[in-house]
Amino acid sequence: MRRRIDHQSMDRPRVWAGVEELSDDPRFQAFIEAEYPAVQEFSKTARREFLKLMGASFALAGLTGCEKSSFVAALPYVDQPASETIGLPRYYATAVSLDGYAQPVIATTYGGRPTKLDGNPGHPTTLGRSDIFMQSAVLQLYDPDRAAAPMRRGEPVSWADVESAIGLMRENWLADQGEGVRLLLGPTTSPTLLRQIAAFLKQFSKARVHLHSTAGLDARRQITAASYGQPLDQHYVLANCDVVVSLDDDFLGPGPDQVRNALGWSQSRRRYSDRPGNRLFMAESVPSATGALAVHRLIADARRMPALAEALADAVGVAGASRPELTDAEGRWIARAAAACKERPGRSLIVSGLSGGAAAGLWVARINQQIGNAGQTLKLTAPISGPENAGTLAELVSDINSGRVDSLVIFDGNPAYGAPGELGVGEAITRVRSSIHLGLQRDETGALCEWQLPLAHALESWSDARAVDGIATILQPVISPFYDVRTAHQIAGMLLGEVDPAADAAVRETWRASFGDAFDTRWKQALHDGFVEGAEPSITASPASNIIAPPGTTGDLDIVFRPDPTVWDGQFANIGWLQELPKTLTTVTWSNVVAVSPALAKRLAASNGDHVEVKIGERRVSGPVWIMPGQADNTVALFLGYGRTRAGRVGNDLGYNAYHVQASADPWLARGSLRKLDTSEDLAVTQLHHRLEGFDLAREVSPGQAERAPSDQASLYAPWPSSKNAWGMVIDLDSCIGCNACVAACTAENNVPVVGADQVRVGREMHWLRIARYYTGDIAEPRSFFEPVPCMHCEDAPCEMGCPVHATTHSPEGVNQMVYNRCIGTRTCSSYCPYKVRRFNFFDYRAPGDSSEHAAHNPDVTVRSRGVMEKCTYCTQRIEAAHVAADKENRPLRDGEVITACQQACPTKAIVFGDINDPNSEVSRLKRSSRHYVLLEELGTRPRTTYLARWRDDDDAESRQG
Amino acid sequence: MSDRSDILPTRQSMGRIADQLTDIPLHFPVERRWLIAMMFASGLLLLLMVSVVELFTRGVGIWGINIPVNWAFAIHNYVWWLGIGHAGTLISALLLLTGSEWRNSLNRFAETMTLFAVVCAGIYPILHLGRPWYVYWMFPYPATMGVWPQFRSPLEWDIWAVLTYLTVSLAFWYTGLIPDLAAARDRATRRGWQIFFGVTALGWRGSARHWLRWSQAYRLTAGLAVPLVVSVHSEVSLLFAAGQIPGWHSTIFPPYFVLGAAFSGFAVVSIIAVALRSWFGLENLVTNDHLDMLGKVLLATGLMTGYGYVFEVFDALYSGETHEIQTLVDRLAGAYAWTYWGAVLFNFIPLQALWWRVVRRSGWMLLLVSVSVVIGMWLERYMILVTSLYRDFLVSSWSHFTPSFWDWSTYFGTIGLFLVPFLIAIRLVPMISIFESKELLHEEKQEKQHA
Repeated sequence: MRRRIDHQSMDRPRVWAGVEELSDDPRFQAFIEAEYPAVQEFSKTARREFLKLMGASFALAGLTGCEKSSFVAALPYVDQPASETIGLPRYYATAVSLDGYAQPVIATTYGGRPTKLDGNPGHPTTLGRSDIFMQSAVLQLYDPDRAAAPMRRGEPVSWADVESAIGLMRENWLADQGEGVRLLLGPTTSPTLLRQIAAFLKQFSKARVHLHSTAGLDARRQITAASYGQPLDQHYVLANCDVVVSLDDDFLGPGPDQVRNALGWSQSRRRYSDRPGNRLFMAESVPSATGALAVHRLIADARRMPALAEALADAVGVAGASRPELTDAEGRWIARAAAACKERPGRSLIVSGLSGGAAAGLWVARINQQIGNAGQTLKLTAPISGPENAGTLAELVSDINSGRVDSLVIFDGNPAYGAPGELGVGEAITRVRSSIHLGLQRDETGALCEWQLPLAHALESWSDARAVDGIATILQPVISPFYDVRTAHQIAGMLLGEVDPAADAAVRETWRASFGDAFDTRWKQALHDGFVEGAEPSITASPASNIIAPPGTTGDLDIVFRPDPTVWDGQFANIGWLQELPKTLTTVTWSNVVAVSPALAKRLAASNGDHVEVKIGERRVSGPVWIMPGQADNTVALFLGYGRTRAGRVGNDLGYNAYHVQASADPWLARGSLRKLDTSEDLAVTQLHHRLEGFDLAREVSPGQAERAPSDQASLYAPWPSSKNAWGMVIDLDSCIGCNACVAACTAENNVPVVGADQVRVGREMHWLRIARYYTGDIAEPRSFFEPVPCMHCEDAPCEMGCPVHATTHSPEGVNQMVYNRCIGTRTCSSYCPYKVRRFNFFDYRAPGDSSEHAAHNPDVTVRSRGVMEKCTYCTQRIEAAHVAADKENRPLRDGEVITACQQACPTKAIVFGDINDPNSEVSRLKRSSRHYVLLEELGTRPRTTYLARWRDDDDAESRQG
Repeated sequence: MSDRSDILPTRQSMGRIADQLTDIPLHFPVERRWLIAMMFASGLLLLLMVSVVELFTRGVGIWGINIPVNWAFAIHNYVWWLGIGHAGTLISALLLLTGSEWRNSLNRFAETMTLFAVVCAGIYPILHLGRPWYVYWMFPYPATMGVWPQFRSPLEWDIWAVLTYLTVSLAFWYTGLIPDLAAARDRATRRGWQIFFGVTALGWRGSARHWLRWSQAYRLTAGLAVPLVVSVHSEVSLLFAAGQIPGWHSTIFPPYFVLGAAFSGFAVVSIIAVALRSWFGLENLVTNDHLDMLGKVLLATGLMTGYGYVFEVFDALYSGETHEIQTLVDRLAGAYAWTYWGAVLFNFIPLQALWWRVVRRSGWMLLLVSVSVVIGMWLERYMILVTSLYRDFLVSSWSHFTPSFWDWSTYFGTIGLFLVPFLIAIRLVPMISIFESKELLHEEKQEKQHA
């Protein structure tokens, strides 16, 4: 404890400020001692610790298992600290991570407690955009099921015990240079951690490091290794693309690359105002967000990807390629894609995913080389994440099983759950004499290890990490840890023999080396900016010239594995926000599914929710079927991340564990069979009907055509008196990739409750914004649409006239307001709402009073009680905050000054909000677009939220136009 | 009126009618059957109490409602009960004003039925609320914040319409009861009964002046009640028609609802008439001619309701609105088509039997037709609510509705809430208007003498 206080007094970064600054004020100390005599019993350092903790305790009253503060109180400031205005947020630049990559964030904190994360707008990679995982990381911080104190075989111990045990271990390791010592890491980009690992390997020359990646990072490296002769990272420069051809690569889907790809894709898509700026060709086995946006979408089984890659290579003239046998549809698609690519040399991009493996990857590399995309739209860099030269998990297991491992340290991973079942990692761990697990939770792996050491959350940690393009961020804590936890760097320091390492010492040491003399300035600048300039330089590499034969085929169905769209590889299983987020194409919540094609479902006589057993080799797993329109007939998709047993109260025992049937040799594509079982379940789905049924709700427009301009419908009501600002929103359906970042951001910003699977099942999910997912055409070969639907903020709102008590009213600025404390819950507004965007608190959906999740609440937004209607407010708290800021400076609001949470999160900038009274605002400009249309215009509700139709730019449309 | 055949047998004496009817409360003839019925009704009432406690403790989430079907059983049964509560006042007041004296044997229990049906309906708007403890916010009381209810809201109109209707119905019922309460007082032998009827008869002595005042008051209240019958259910229909939801947004709704209400109300009057007549042996007062008239009215209102059905279909098709037509298709062939076809079947098929005089004059056959109509009208309200809401404009919000246990228990509970006071009223007050029956008998006798 002393250690942390010391570094505080030693060198406090200017942006890291909180209540603990007060602890230096003697008057405040005197007050505390007078008011709370118990504090006097604390030692001096403990008292300081207590004062520091208060920041968290304001909201964390009742937090259990926090051994440091048995005394919890919320204390008001007596004198306002100079650095902080009570009730006003403070912002800190830092990062959270996904698969080891930094997701740069600006954390909003109130009274020393982070409530909202948003992208860092200054960061060159993400430009302030975010994804669902970044948005939800704040709830992970407050997860009441986090590990709170170190444990040995399930018994709480102190960190002193841990340090002395590690000291003993080190003595043993030193004796044989760490012969039996193994470190197991997930992919990490942290320069500090990589430096510490390297130092460890130097100390113990015979120790080894193994890498365990759950979401396919190592598989991608293997593909590039096979295609280019060295493991590389590929970076798509989508902003420069006119044509993109994807072979089963969901590059706009969830993952560390999503934000960057979505930004680039939407930039090129919006390049022109009168036509779409790029065309996307997608061949895929399992429908994905990317496929939903494709102009020409080919449905092909996962096994066909190498053949399609070779056919495309042949069509663009790659030497050595010969045309494989293709079906008519495949032939047409290849011809179109090849023609489009050849037309745009250097401005096209061909990409392939994991299911095509190295066989497809190599052809793709050669095609990009052939038509000049390499270096233009496809950049290659040395791997951003490490550790380098690490062994695999399979090698580790075999070493353990042959008795060569006596000590195992697992850095923040959960291989006992998230590894191919055939490896038997869990069993292997129990065979190791001393095992140490570092993790946020005492998860499946932690429970098997001798030592479970709780890690600090990224928002509580000093650390560093690099974004997908290599730009580093120094992570600074935005809240003092409220559990008895350490960072990975501190524990790595212990392994290196340091005694009680300080939280920031290792990170400073790393950067002291690169910042050199200007350390202090550059360190502060880096903390302030949230990043350190310097992306990984791109390198050129030529594709290998050999030919990789696709693996042979046995079994009757292709089984592909995908990380789950919302809980990813399972690490987010205990985050209610993510569990309740409807999965992009299925809108299923709280479970994973076995996705099958309509034809296969028919053969099995299975309908949604029926249980099927998937058999791969001798391993079986059973889960609920989901019939996915547009899935390849003989491909079955399994989603990872479910079936957890030690995720916590939220995430336990949901769905099935697909890792169980994953093969370690080829984890992403397998052959297997499917059998229908007699049982079934009722899936918690937020949208029951997906076929558009001929309504023109999600519209398309061909280049050269225009949506009819919205007409001013006659109204019996007098127009509202106009005020200075009139808020409006435009949502560009052409840019929406259905990623749900807006929904997650809205949930975090507006304290939207999580209601649980049972409530979702009866249709009571609370999201203020839903992404309607539609398809048109044949269920076997549909066209898919995404349409975000927030409140329309109608000028003539049916809801407003329905409410008997004036609980929903019209603001002078045109916002349809909801007065929670006036609402008596007649639900008339919702009955009358043609868009059904209102949500009702059927029960008291608030978290229990003692839940630490209350700390994540935005203090500017009322938490709604039972019996009250709620809905999108256009983030009225943000509008008001902007008004206050402008009024203080005595100036009008500027365009772009009010940013709604959904708009802020959207990685494609599909949501634009602003003042429609200002003819020059971006929203006004978009409302004059030829693609502009009003949802259900014929009802005369005159919504403020309107849409831009999606471009329809397939060849048929062009010929129609021609 | 003179060419009309007598509806009451003229052979009976005036005094015997008074004895017969006051004997029912004073020397209750069917104690055992009444007790059994009371136990059953109390059981249901207890169920209601349990349901309401559960509801107020946990919230309206105990029901099957959701988004988009956020109105279901509470509104549905509210409309159903209110519809039933129409016939009493309609029969009494309208027929009083038009001088149709055959009503005199039916009006008392029809009005009683109305009162308790309106009470059953009246609790639903409270149960329905997410925060029922704030129901008073619907009233324009002088709040410190200066907020008033919103008078544009059909729910606000509804509060006023129902309360007005309840008040006037109560006044009308009580006014009509006064002379009979006096008759019961005069025949009461036990002290308790004497006090009870003495107080409730308000000192009625039957003087000519009393009769004059009474007659003025009674006709005046009737004059107020008749337009209210029309307004209250027109207003209820606006609860739906004021919204833009397909299947609701139609100008046919007010007359359609009023006629439907009268239809279900007359069905319940028929049920009670047949039941009371057989319980208390009142065939001399509730004659087959009465049943015949009830049957005819039932048939007429039923056919008019049927016209509403036809016009709803026509409206949707003629509008050409895709969403209206979608809702029509959903009604005829969607997930809840059983409610539509159930309503058609129960409302209109057995009804056709009433074209035959023999059916109209047979107590049990009229009873069966009426029960069928009550079920049919219940299904109709279910259909109007759920089939419109479960699939409205945006496909992405389409959902479904399944009533939960608590939906059903609340509904059956209100049947208890209706029966318990009704059974008590049977026990306490003359269920057929004594003086009006005598008046009618007197007139008939006089006509006979003149003839």
